[in-house]
Amino acid sequence: MTTSPTAPSAVKILIAGGFGVGKTTLVGAVSEVAPLRTEEYLTQASVGVDSLTGVGRKNTTTVALDFGRITVSPELVVYLFGTPGQERFWFMWNDLVNGALGGVVIADTRRLETSFASIDFFESRDIPFVVAINCFHGHNTRTTEEIRAALDLDPHVPLLVGDVRERTFGRDVLLALVDHLMSLPAAVG
Amino acid sequence: MTSYRYEEEDEQETEDGAHTMVRPYTITRGRTAPERDDFSLITVLTTAEQAVDEHGVPLRVGRLQPEHRMILDRCRRPAAVAEVAAGLDLPVSVTKILLADLVAQDLLLARAPLTVARASGGADMGLLAAVRDGLRRL
Repeated sequence: MTTSPTAPSAVKILIAGGFGVGKTTLVGAVSEVAPLRTEEYLTQASVGVDSLTGVGRKNTTTVALDFGRITVSPELVVYLFGTPGQERFWFMWNDLVNGALGGVVIADTRRLETSFASIDFFESRDIPFVVAINCFHGHNTRTTEEIRAALDLDPHVPLLVGDVRERTFGRDVLLALVDHLMSLPAAVG
Repeated sequence: MTSYRYEEEDEQETEDGAHTMVRPYTITRGRTAPERDDFSLITVLTTAEQAVDEHGVPLRVGRLQPEHRMILDRCRRPAAVAEVAAGLDLPVSVTKILLADLVAQDLLLARAPLTVARASGGADMGLLAAVRDGLRRL
């Protein structure tokens, strides 16, 4: 591929979690542009067969995702992709997950189960991730130990609690991911 | 896009996507796959400096469609595939076909994403440090 010497390089981080848990909110809080939305077609053969709202066409299913960007230097841009709310779609979307630096799983303590699929996904793909507990209303009745147990989280996976609407929290979550990545032992060979 | 005739046509036409108001691949003249399949969502594209003749007229102006020209305008500042697709309001797969046309004509330069394959020992420490420093400035 012809390479432009002046273009920045890009990396991506995936923002996952159940529907309505705050993925796009977190993207918007840290992105230098308002979250953008793009769509992709997935063939029905690669998607589940039961009917879903929004799966109106037969040969193709349109999946939307929101994303943002952070220019960390003139040479490097980080793209943040909020994954589609239904994991069944992005399981099949290799382009979305291939080459991801890591992931963030956003969870809501009132319905932690909606984030199980995202955690399973990252674990099965060996994609390092951190968990961000979104406290929409500023209160959290569960201890982090309880949350870790409920999510069956490995002890080394960072877990942060905060409000994803706040830029500083979004930044801290991403920094925790990068620190986590830097702490991982390099594979032998 | 609406599928307002979905109910009545559901039984007869299940194979050809006949319900789409505008067929998604019209813009690509029926092509459903790009000439090259190495574009990712974050492949970064930059419009090439165009060669001009002695009068300053671009030498190469092929048969470009409006969407192609929009892409060339957009990518004067580097943009990822996903950003171009969002700007054109076209699906990523359709956008990739148009991008491949332009790369093939050397009108557009593409830069592949950095590889972060963990099999080879995890993400590059220098890369991670650069990301971390950038995030700290947020």
